Amino acid sequence: MGKQFIPKITVFHCINVFGDGEFLLPPEKQDAAVEFIKLPCSSMVKDVFLLRAFESGADAVLVLVCPEGACRYVEGNLRAKKRVGWVKNLLDEIGLDGGRLALFNVAADDAAAVEQIIVQTLSQLADLGPSPAA
Amino acid sequence: MIVGEQKSIAEIKNIVSPYKKVLILGCGTCVKTCFAGGEDEVAVLASALRLAFKKDGRRIEVEEFTVERQCEDEFVQESAEAIARNESVLSLACGAGVQAIARRYEKTPVLPGVNTTFLGVLEKHGLFTEECSGCGDCQLAVFGAVCPFTRCAKKLLNGPCGGSQEGKCEVDPDTECAWSLIIYRLKLLGQLDNLRAYVPPKNWCASGACGPRKLIREDHVL
Ligand code: SF4
Ligand code: SF4
Repeated sequence: MGKQFIPKITVFHCINVFGDGEFLLPPEKQDAAVEFIKLPCSSMVKDVFLLRAFESGADAVLVLVCPEGACRYVEGNLRAKKRVGWVKNLLDEIGLDGGRLALFNVAADDAAAVEQIIVQTLSQLADLGPSPAA
Repeated sequence: MIVGEQKSIAEIKNIVSPYKKVLILGCGTCVKTCFAGGEDEVAVLASALRLAFKKDGRRIEVEEFTVERQCEDEFVQESAEAIARNESVLSLACGAGVQAIARRYEKTPVLPGVNTTFLGVLEKHGLFTEECSGCGDCQLAVFGAVCPFTRCAKKLLNGPCGGSQEGKCEVDPDTECAWSLIIYRLKLLGQLDNLRAYVPPKNWCASGACGPRKLIREDHVL
């Protein structure tokens, strides 16, 4: 019997989406390891941070940014979107599946939306399985 | 600046596959500006390669280092220790940088990680355009500072081809017709008469067709 798969998700988020979040996952999803990394603005999520999260064993990486038009620094979330798109292509090239990386626009302090995104990602990981490079 | 583009991960993986220890060597000048080989690109490529090989169940040690300019021996020397620790070097400089590294570290395989593409201009953030072919005999004074040798798809030196439409080149409608630009600029400068003068065929020797070129500044050579 193989080892039980405990999915690991790294979440990069702008502090304007939420500060230090506590999220309630449904009981059947609680055996996941979810790590939050807060940034002063989502545009600070450099390509290499996303890749290094995978190198550190993440099975999926999420980037949570403010809704378009609501970035405090005007275009930070647009830059983050471009960068995530670039790294998704890179992951596809590597054969790691760009689908393991995703960006979501979330309104400030919408905890329910964040929980929903994490639950949805865990469901996807149940299908995708562990990262082949973890 | 010299503009280049990083090779695909698949090609780079293939090039470095015989080695277990690879130094990715960046260059902090032209290729940094065009996002092909500066410190950030070195870090991204190193991480991507580690992930790619780990996925394949292969271990490879990837070290990262960036020098100011790979085309100057003074800076090249700074990489000596890092090169000595590795079996090969993947250079993210232009082709000149790759060769400068190989010249100094003769026994180390030095591999190219970038396709050196053209001499160009940063038109806006993320957009680079080709402007000069380094022909060795610059005639921009005649052409209102728009180079037909580089920017006209047919390299015409004595006027447009006749296929230009609404300022766009017939070879590629997304590219401006160099001759349309030349005429526009000469009009602005009041120098349309320049077009009456016959421009003789180019001396291709000055462009490198007679072998590699060399520039000697006697006053700087000891
Ligand atoms: S004429 Fe020659 S040197 Fe001048 S811009 Fe054109 S290619 Fe470059
Ligand atoms: S359309 Fe203009 S740029 Fe294109 S080939 Fe003709 S003259 Fe040259």
